[in-house]
Amino acid sequence: MQRIFQIDGEETECWLGHDGSRFVLNTPDGSVACELNPTALPGGYTLRAKGVVRELRLAVGPDATFVHMNGRTHEIRRIDPDERLAGRDKGASDDRLVAPMPGVVVSVAVKPGDTVAEGQPLLVIESMKLETTLTAPRDGVVAEMPFAEGDSFRLKDILAQLAPEEE
Amino acid sequence: MTISKLLVANRGEIAARVLRTAKARGLATAVLRHESEQEGPAHLIADEIVTIEGPTPVAAYLDIPQIVEAAKKIGADAVHPGYGFLSENAAFVAALEKAGVTFVGPTSEVIALMGDKVRARGFVEERGFPVAPSAIEDDDPASFVERARTVGYPLLIKPSAGGGGKGMRIVREDSTLETEIETARREGIRYFGDGRLFVERYIERPRHIEVQVMGDGQGNVVHFWERECSIQRRFQKIIEETPSPALTPEQRDEICETAAGIARAVKYRGAGTVEFIYAQDGAFYFLEMNTRLQVEHPVTELVTGFDLVAEQLRIAAGEGLSATQANIPQTGHSIELRICAEDATADFRPSIGDILLLDEPSGPGVRVDSGILDGGKVTTDFDPMLSKLIVHGRDRVEAIARARQAVQNYVVLGVTTNTGYLDAILAHPDFAAGNVSTGFLAEQSETLTAPAEDISELLMAAAALSDERLVGDVMQIPEMYRKMGGWRN
Repeated sequence: MQRIFQIDGEETECWLGHDGSRFVLNTPDGSVACELNPTALPGGYTLRAKGVVRELRLAVGPDATFVHMNGRTHEIRRIDPDERLAGRDKGASDDRLVAPMPGVVVSVAVKPGDTVAEGQPLLVIESMKLETTLTAPRDGVVAEMPFAEGDSFRLKDILAQLAPEEE
Repeated sequence: MTISKLLVANRGEIAARVLRTAKARGLATAVLRHESEQEGPAHLIADEIVTIEGPTPVAAYLDIPQIVEAAKKIGADAVHPGYGFLSENAAFVAALEKAGVTFVGPTSEVIALMGDKVRARGFVEERGFPVAPSAIEDDDPASFVERARTVGYPLLIKPSAGGGGKGMRIVREDSTLETEIETARREGIRYFGDGRLFVERYIERPRHIEVQVMGDGQGNVVHFWERECSIQRRFQKIIEETPSPALTPEQRDEICETAAGIARAVKYRGAGTVEFIYAQDGAFYFLEMNTRLQVEHPVTELVTGFDLVAEQLRIAAGEGLSATQANIPQTGHSIELRICAEDATADFRPSIGDILLLDEPSGPGVRVDSGILDGGKVTTDFDPMLSKLIVHGRDRVEAIARARQAVQNYVVLGVTTNTGYLDAILAHPDFAAGNVSTGFLAEQSETLTAPAEDISELLMAAAALSDERLVGDVMQIPEMYRKMGGWRN
C-alpha cells in the first residue's frame, strides 16, 4: 500500500508490505523491516527498524503524524497520492507570491496590467504584528492582485500573480 | 486597604501563575474567559470564571468598561493585569481607580510616563542616567529627518508609544531612511494609535540586560538583580537568564543601582523592569521601563527565592516591601525557555492545531508555567507562546544541562513547536561561552536550524505503522501478494 510522506519539506514515496512475519517499508533507498509496539506511556511506542530500537511518543493528527524521539519532535506529513494528482498546481512557481503566513493586506502598490521589475514592491502585508513588503520575484506583467487593502488572507493564498513569461 | 478578592484580567500561563499565588495567600479568585476560548489551566484554578464578550477574543481582553464592570459585578476589590493586554494601560488604571478597585501595579501617572518612550527617555536623561544618542520627532517635526541623519548610521526607528519590537526598523543607509520612517509611522498608528517616532543610534551587537525592581510607592525601591534577554527572534525574547554572563560584579552593582535609582525617581509602586542596551564595550543605556510583571520574571524568583506576585499583592494591599536590599540573594543560575507554537525553520511562522499529546517535564530545578492543557486547541487568536520552562542550577553549566534535558523531554504533539530550536541554541558553543548579542539568532540561523542526523526512514516507519488504515489495508491483501512487496517504479 502506497503513501507519500513529507519530512522537513522533502517528499518520499513509500510502500508498506508484510512478509508473513514482519512489516516491510520500501522506500527508494531500500527495504526496512520494522515493528512498532505500544509501551505503558500515553502515546508511547517502541520502534524496531534498521537494527536499532527507539523509544518514542507518537500522535496521529489529521494530516500529519507527530513523533517525539531522541529529545526532538518531528512532523511527518501524510499526503494522499490521489489528492496529490488532483491538486497539481498550475503555473510556474515564480509567477506568484504565496502568503507565507495568514495576515491582512495593508496596501497594494500595483494593479493588473502593470509592468514590474524584479524586487519592485507589489504589496504590503501585516502578519503576526509585523509589516512585510512583498516584492516582484522577477521582471514581468501583473496578471492578478486578488486581495485589496484591508482584506485578510490565509496561509498559502496567492497574493499576486504575474502573467506567464513569454519564451 | 486590604484585598480579599482578586480578578486576574488575563489568560494563559500568566493568569494561572498569578492565581496560584493569590490562592496561596488566601484570596478569593476570579479570571476572565472569552466566549470562544477553550478551557485553560487558569480556569481550573480560579474560584470563579467571568465570561467576556467581544468581536475577537483579543478585543474582549482589551475592553476596559467591560472588565471594570466585571470586577464590580463579582465584588473583586483588586485586579491583577498580568502582562500584555491592559497591563500598561493608564486609562484602565484610571477607570479602576474611579470604580474603587485596586490595580495591582503602579499609578496611572507612572504608567503614562513610562509608556511614552520619548517622555520616559527625557525623564531619565534629565536625572543624569545614561541614554543613547537620539532624535525625537516631537521636539521639532519639521527637522526630524535631518536630525535623524545627524544621529548617524546604523540607527533604529521606534514608535514613541511602542513596545515589543513592533514598528522598529534598523536603517543602515541614508537612501532608505525616509521610506523606513514612513513604514514605522504606519505601524505605530496601527498598533498604538500613535504615529510619532524617534530614532536612536543602533548599538552593534548589543546585549539586552534588564533589572527587576520593586517599589512601595513611597520612594523605597529594591532591585532583584538583572536578567539577560539577548536571545531574541524578531525583537522578541525567547531565552532569558540570570545572572547575566556578561557582567562583572562591579558592572552588576552599577546597572542594578541605576535601575533602582530610576524607579526611585518616580516613587515607583509595585513590580517593574528597567531595560538597558548593553554595548560590547561595557557601556549601557536606558532603553525603557516596563511597568508590569515581565514574562521572564520566574528566573528572578528562582535565584532570589522571592515570589514576585506575592510581593505585588503585598504592596497593592499597602503592606509594603517584605525585603530590604541586603536580604535579596542571587543564588545559582536560572534559565527560562519560551515554548512557542511556531516553526523555527520557516521564519518562525506561527502554527496552529490540536494538542494531541502533552507531557511536560518535571524534576529537580525544573518549573513549568504552562498555559495549555492536553486536548487543547492552539489558534491564531493569541500570542504563539504556549508555556515557559524555567530551570535552576548551582551554576550556569548545570542550568544549561538541566534546561537541555528538560526541553528534550517536553512533549507537545499536534502542533509544531520550537523545542528543538531552543535545544539547538542551548547546545551552541557561543551560547555556552556567553558570547551572544541580540543579533545572535539571526546571525546563527543556518546553524541553529540545520537538520540533525537523517532519521527519516525511522520516522516514516513509525508514521506508516501507526497509520491504522494503511496497516489494515496491507493486512487485507492476500499473503502471497503482500510478500511480493509491491514496490515498482
